[in-house]
Amino acid sequence: MAVFVIRRLIVSFFILLASTFLIYTLVAVSGDPLGDLRADTSPNRQQKIDARIEKLHLDQSIPARYTIWISGAAKCAVPGLDCDLGEAKNGQDVSALLGTAVSSTLRLVAAATVLAILLGVSIGIISALRQYSGFDYSITLMAFLFFSLPIFWVAVLLKQYMAIQVNDWYRDPKVGLVTSLVLGALSALTWGAIIGGSAQRRWVVRGVAFVASVGALLAMSASGWFKFPALGPGLITVLSLGAAVGVAALVAGLVRRNVLYACLATAAVGCIAQFFVTPWLRDPKWASWTNLLALLVVAVAVAVAIGWALGGLDKGQAIRATVITAVVTGLVIVVDIALRTVNPYSRLVNGRIFATTGSETPNFSGTFWEGQLDLLTHLILPTIAIMLISFAGYSRFSRASMLEVMNADFVRTARSKGLTERTVIMRHAFRNALIPVTTLMAFDFGALLGGAVITETVFARRGMGSLFVTGLSQVDPNPVMGFYIVTAVSIVIFNMIADIGYAYLDPRIRLS
Amino acid sequence: MTTLPPQPITPEPGLPGTVPPDPVSGAPQGGGGVEREFTIRAMTQRQLVTRRFLRHRGAMIGLAVFVVVLVLANSAIGIFGLPGWWGESYQTTGEVVAGGRMTLDLLPSFADGDGVALGNHPFGQDNVGRDYFALTMRGAQISIVISLLVGLIATTLGVVVGALSGYFRGWVEGVLMRITDVFLTIPLLLIAAVVGKISGGGPVTLAFVLGLLVWVQLARLVRGEFLSLREKEFVEAARAMGASSARIIFRHILPNALGTIIVNATLTIAGAILLETALSFLSFGVQPPDTSLGRLISDYQQAFQTRPWLFWWPGVFIIAIALSVNFIGDGLRDAFDPKQTRVRA
Amino acid sequence: MTATSDPSAASGPPPAAGSPSPATTAPRRRERVADVPLLEVQDLTVRFGTEDGVVNAVRGVSYQLAEREVLGIVGESGSGKSVSSLAVMGLLPRTALITGRILLEGENILEMGVKEQRSLRGRRIAMIFQDPMTALNPVYSVGDQLAEAVRSHEQISKKMALSRAAEMLDLVGIPRPVDRLGSYPHEFSGGMRQRVMIAMAVINNPDVIIADEPTTALDVTVQAQILEKLIEVKDAVNAAIVLITHDLGVVAGMANRVLVMYAGKAVELGRTDQVFTSPRMPYAAGLLGSMPSLASAGGRLRPIPGAPPSLINLPPGCPFSPRCPLVQDRCNSEEPALYATDQHDHTAACHYWADLADREDPTSIFRPTAVVAE
Repeated sequence: MAVFVIRRLIVSFFILLASTFLIYTLVAVSGDPLGDLRADTSPNRQQKIDARIEKLHLDQSIPARYTIWISGAAKCAVPGLDCDLGEAKNGQDVSALLGTAVSSTLRLVAAATVLAILLGVSIGIISALRQYSGFDYSITLMAFLFFSLPIFWVAVLLKQYMAIQVNDWYRDPKVGLVTSLVLGALSALTWGAIIGGSAQRRWVVRGVAFVASVGALLAMSASGWFKFPALGPGLITVLSLGAAVGVAALVAGLVRRNVLYACLATAAVGCIAQFFVTPWLRDPKWASWTNLLALLVVAVAVAVAIGWALGGLDKGQAIRATVITAVVTGLVIVVDIALRTVNPYSRLVNGRIFATTGSETPNFSGTFWEGQLDLLTHLILPTIAIMLISFAGYSRFSRASMLEVMNADFVRTARSKGLTERTVIMRHAFRNALIPVTTLMAFDFGALLGGAVITETVFARRGMGSLFVTGLSQVDPNPVMGFYIVTAVSIVIFNMIADIGYAYLDPRIRLS
Repeated sequence: MTTLPPQPITPEPGLPGTVPPDPVSGAPQGGGGVEREFTIRAMTQRQLVTRRFLRHRGAMIGLAVFVVVLVLANSAIGIFGLPGWWGESYQTTGEVVAGGRMTLDLLPSFADGDGVALGNHPFGQDNVGRDYFALTMRGAQISIVISLLVGLIATTLGVVVGALSGYFRGWVEGVLMRITDVFLTIPLLLIAAVVGKISGGGPVTLAFVLGLLVWVQLARLVRGEFLSLREKEFVEAARAMGASSARIIFRHILPNALGTIIVNATLTIAGAILLETALSFLSFGVQPPDTSLGRLISDYQQAFQTRPWLFWWPGVFIIAIALSVNFIGDGLRDAFDPKQTRVRA
Repeated sequence: MTATSDPSAASGPPPAAGSPSPATTAPRRRERVADVPLLEVQDLTVRFGTEDGVVNAVRGVSYQLAEREVLGIVGESGSGKSVSSLAVMGLLPRTALITGRILLEGENILEMGVKEQRSLRGRRIAMIFQDPMTALNPVYSVGDQLAEAVRSHEQISKKMALSRAAEMLDLVGIPRPVDRLGSYPHEFSGGMRQRVMIAMAVINNPDVIIADEPTTALDVTVQAQILEKLIEVKDAVNAAIVLITHDLGVVAGMANRVLVMYAGKAVELGRTDQVFTSPRMPYAAGLLGSMPSLASAGGRLRPIPGAPPSLINLPPGCPFSPRCPLVQDRCNSEEPALYATDQHDHTAACHYWADLADREDPTSIFRPTAVVAE
């Protein structure tokens, strides 16, 4: 494995050399870097021109300029040396500009990737299992639509419509009867498709989902929940226990009582823990990412212990299930805290909780949670805009892959051993279906980055994308190259992760 | 019950599988003839594909929509110097009438009293009084032309390089793979923006440079197809019969790869529209005085609150074109490779 | 031809399964119900709807299988032999229309609930598939997949299941079985993979093993080994085998009884030696006569002219009539049932089986056309 990684790094190094040279040359010839100065009418025009020629080494040939740049950039890779990515036309240091921009873009891209993969793959697999059903057709139609959407148009649409209409709605948030019924119907159909089974069972699920959704929406509307949202201990308990049952059903099947009890126990521990954890995390003294991470580690450790103790004959499965349950329960608790932060946050931003410009509210000062919520609300709309296309790609691809696997010989062998359909799907088909999806991850990431550039422009986020756009339109190579080198390195890293994932999933290629 | 006397052994020329007549009674043995068993009508590959394509509802709808948009855009404002039937031009500025509102009225008279009408400016007017319908049509025309050109260039280059590298391997393949590796680390939008800026903004040049970028993906796919097809037995057989490489490529492998090529060419066209409009939105694509649907959206994104139609119509057309091409591509994919469950006896 | 051991004289190692012993982790053997055939298929029909019409894959097949018996099912591609066995296993897609009865020790499988059917699969009826290269899941080790087969029917620990898996690997002749438990399928050759499949089929001591062309995808030398191993294993676990094949030599060497299928129907059923020496149905006679052998070197080949009919549009009457040299008018209008013949327990679906019986060499009804090389 180490040899593999090192070899890839060396190859990637040369590829990066080639591609950075290509981009540098193209940007350099894309226009006249002195264009704006030539039209200048001020008396010291010539001095300005000379100054810029010297600063950007415009008197030297393009390859020479590139060499200067790359030697500066190489210093970034060596710890201890200062990063020298050159200066922008206006004199700002590119690495400084990048510093703030990278985190903004990274948040966006990471959120979009994770969401697109999780949602896309799960919906794709469900579609494959319910082939030719109404659910399948609607998802297929949606995927086609998303493939044909121009990102910039969607971004503008989201920005104008959601931000303005939804923020207006939030001033007096109520859900009407008609809307509740429609949303309830949608929820019913979706849950019916996800749970599946006999026609009778599906109708029961639909009925329950419809009633529950409509009831919940009307109750939330009447009680003013939207203004002061929270989950509360009751709902947290219900959700965690429900998740425990769901995870146990998926991982081991409800017949394996050991796993079910282990998951329920884990969820119960989490529910009890919330009474200590929630106030502790909400205290500004203790709220931080490191503490959250520490809590996660503790939760996973507890889950492993419970799974091992109660797992009986299926310790491995039980531990897997309890860890997932613990993570979900933890997520539920964090969501509760985040929801409770909405009200104080909304007061800080004058009730306009869905932001449409920038990556954070300028001059914002609030608690840790309010700060995180602020970042989140600025993130939602751009993330949705970008991930639509990726989601469509993942769902179609994993659907096709799953369909192919379900027709494979070894699936028939698994059935012939007398395994339950659930085991056949989750244990045998699922993992094989995931293997090709990792190859898609590599291609999709590059497209996602392109989408990020567009949405950053639309939502006026100060990310790397805007560095690129402004840099290119002004024929300013250094910011563009700064953007590109970060992009290229992240693509290379992401590809490597995808390859490692592929090798983990498929033992056939591990030996080579 | 009749018993047949032992038959003399006589060599019988003719097709294998036919039964020679009984020399005693003259009636053919194995009654009824062999034709009775063949109850399936054979069709050529092309007929099968065409039939399946025509049966695909999505593809037919897509084809219809695309043709409608194509004809509408080109006939309304004319092409190659031929005049169109739409009176207004997309270039003449003028006075902004009634705040540039849409004069299109689709509701019949009994609904709102005005009747169905097109009016002078069915899509309204832009900030300087130009007719928006003409602008949109011009944008659609340019976008379609660019994407078709990109598709053509990318497919030609992609097939040639992909075929050569997949079949002959050698240095062509090495170069292609290195180029692909480099391109993989460059987000398409990025490099498209750069070359778009270099190209200056004329639609044809833009199409050209975009095609020079997009062919790489297609070449990889074609190479993959050729790599697997060249191992098939029918290629081996052709080689054994002394066929030249050119003949093998053109007569044997290419027709089998045609399905993948056509489907991916269609998808490339759909992707090209989205790419070009995105570039124009960022102002790295089509430059004024020409217009593009992306530019229109970029110019009027702020107008969403007051004059939303300026924003909606170009978007609707982009989606219509891309969606219809995608459906056509899906229909083609199903036509070339239908997914049928296997039944083994 | 790959005929090897004589099935009726099967001896080999004493059954490892039977009573639980500390050395093995075998499941306990149930009590057999007497006087009822182990497996009985009655009038099984299977139909599929396709975009070109309804395919009548199996049109009324009946047979019985006794304990420890080897029944060979022979037929061309499209004769329905695989589909009928998939129906017995319950592995056909839900769109298949199945009628008839499949009785395992008197209980009709087709009327059982889903859970009950599933509990039979892999435990009392097991199947070995044709292509060993694709029949195993490539991402899990062989030991995992074998252990899974055990643990899906029994509540035992993974360690115990793996030790039983190693026993099975040893039984089928895989060297260093304990080491190989962690190997992945792609690390085995085709023949070894098929052995693993056999191990997986017998790991729960099934009563019936259905082997669907187990050696078709293998080299000839490996074929003999696999078939021999199959018989050995069958005796070790006291199972009966349904052996599906198109290779008459395999049938001659392995099967006690043989069922010949054509166009979805059984056309001849009887003891192997009887069917082979005195076929009572022209199709069977044609099959036997068309095989080249060293004995016929220098003579002429006698193929059956024509091709099997489409299963969508079957002509009325006997499906073989277009190709049959003994055809009469009655054959074109009335489809023959399985008639009892002059030999005991030997049935044939031919109106004129007696004609065939009168002949000294039934295969001679087909005319030779080409020369067998010396």
